[in-house]
Amino acid sequence: MFCFSTSINKRNLIYGVFDDDSNLINTVEEVREKGIEVFDCYTPFPVHHLDTAMGINRTRLTIAAFLCGTTGFCLGLLLQFYTMIFDWPMNIGGKPSDYHMLPSMVPVVFECTVLCTAYGLAFLFFFRNKMGHGVRPDILDLRQTDDHLLIAFDSDTMDQATKTELNAILTKNGVLSIHEYSGQYAIEGGAHA
Amino acid sequence: MGHHHIEIKQEKFEFTSRSKMLSIILLAVGIILSVIGVYQIKANDSKVATETTTVHAEASHETAAPVAHGGEHSEQLLPTRFWANMLVNSYYFLLFAVGALFFVALNYVANAGWAVMVKRVAEGISAYIPIGLILLFITLYFGGTQLYHWLHYEHEGLKEGMEGYDKILAGKSPFLNTKFLFLGVPLFILIWYCFRIILRRLSIKEDSEGGLTFFRRSTRFSAAFLVIFGFSFSMLVWLMIMSVDAHWYSTIYTINNFAVMFVTAVTVICFFTIYLKSKGYMELVSSEIMHDLGKFMFAFCIFWAYTWLAQYLLIWYANIHEEVVYFQVRLHSSFRPLFFTNLFMNFFIPFLLLMMRNAKRNPKSLLVAGSIILVGHWLDIYLMIMPGTLGSASAGLGLLELGMPMAFAGLFIYVVKYSLSKANLYAINHPYIMESATYDVGP
Repeated sequence: MFCFSTSINKRNLIYGVFDDDSNLINTVEEVREKGIEVFDCYTPFPVHHLDTAMGINRTRLTIAAFLCGTTGFCLGLLLQFYTMIFDWPMNIGGKPSDYHMLPSMVPVVFECTVLCTAYGLAFLFFFRNKMGHGVRPDILDLRQTDDHLLIAFDSDTMDQATKTELNAILTKNGVLSIHEYSGQYAIEGGAHA
Repeated sequence: MGHHHIEIKQEKFEFTSRSKMLSIILLAVGIILSVIGVYQIKANDSKVATETTTVHAEASHETAAPVAHGGEHSEQLLPTRFWANMLVNSYYFLLFAVGALFFVALNYVANAGWAVMVKRVAEGISAYIPIGLILLFITLYFGGTQLYHWLHYEHEGLKEGMEGYDKILAGKSPFLNTKFLFLGVPLFILIWYCFRIILRRLSIKEDSEGGLTFFRRSTRFSAAFLVIFGFSFSMLVWLMIMSVDAHWYSTIYTINNFAVMFVTAVTVICFFTIYLKSKGYMELVSSEIMHDLGKFMFAFCIFWAYTWLAQYLLIWYANIHEEVVYFQVRLHSSFRPLFFTNLFMNFFIPFLLLMMRNAKRNPKSLLVAGSIILVGHWLDIYLMIMPGTLGSASAGLGLLELGMPMAFAGLFIYVVKYSLSKANLYAINHPYIMESATYDVGP
């Protein structure tokens, strides 16, 4: 079938392991102040303010939600107008089969709006986060799925001086260990699994 | 966050003589406009009176004057229109105060921390409850027979079989009667006010003494208040507002009124917070807290629309005479444009305005949407009361309808600012104050 390439595929990364989320955030802030780019962070639980510290833009999922909702709204109206007025006008409770029956359409149109938004966003979320069937998850180190937090850097974009500086910052902020990763999938052959 | 260090400096709102003057000017202008409005209506009344006497003189030997529902009390507009406006405004402004108290109690019971920074604002707004009660009671006491035809009917004392006997009103008389109106309404509101006094005292004492006891006791009292409030508010609405159309009933009516109460109260809390921030107070109230207040406004606009539609849809579908008359008079008369304006101002416009995240975090857009909500819900209550008291032919939007809300607003702002100046703006020893100060709604 189809398989997305994961973002850590065929990359050379340096990653540090933390056991405290505030240490991780301090590291991210300090590293970015020095102009070193963070590749990504991997945490087993949501860490507040990590996204702002990493300088990640706000999600555009809300705009997609609005568009999905509008689509659902229009589809619902279309469904109601077509089935109840044009295709087979129905006499329910003596109500006229024209736009005067608009109040009775509200529940259906509302449900269509919610349905389209929910399905649209669920699929978009899976798509955007590459959570399809058969996609390898980004696992550098199995501990990231349990109780440790990882910060990863792209080692190809760094020279030796930056790497030394990076090591110093990580050590200063209480890193447990620093590892190198070279495109090898952690679950199959990870040294720290 | 551990690395953020926030120090909460205690501050007190100073009710300057300038802002005192401004609210008094608003009150005075409102009263002047109302008086002019009353005189306009009076002049119109006497003109109509002379006209109708001539018409009656010509037609008196042919037919008796037809009795129309709504306009049956008199052809003179004045006392009824004045008292109907008093009812609209005294009820509306009382809703702010009661809603603010509800907001405080709700946050205690829900164990919510985010709103602690604006807790004192809500407490300040609830200071208006006794004033609102007095104004409401004056309205009911002096204008009751003008407003409620069941009260009028009760005074006639008709027995079964007599001409003009009304089976429905007679059946409702155990609830809709003078005693209930004049004892029940003050009693309910006084009970709420007692809870306000208790919660306020605990809150002030907490400031000086600290500790968790005040928080725990407040939570207990809040829980009791919410239960009592739920029942008494429903009865109050049945007794005072729904009984304007005494032959009609709707089971979702009180929930709709509750939605009006909550959305307007949150909007008023939001407005006072923005005002205080613009005066340099409450700098620690972040846009995160404004965001959540905006969310409440947004959510309860939808909730209001939901209950409104639930009421409309069932009545429209069933199409039963005794129910549908309520919307008949609102939809197929001069109220029609107001009826749709109401929907747009209270649902569609704020819904679209407050949908964006940034709109809820920006004081300007909150002010725009909030103003629409506040005017819209005034109109909503106007539409609840006017058709049943005045009827479509007699109701209108004139200087009286403009001036009276202004006068009430002036008084309300004065009372709230006075109360705000009496206590610290931050409930500094509240256990959740730090949670609220460092609050973050997330991305």
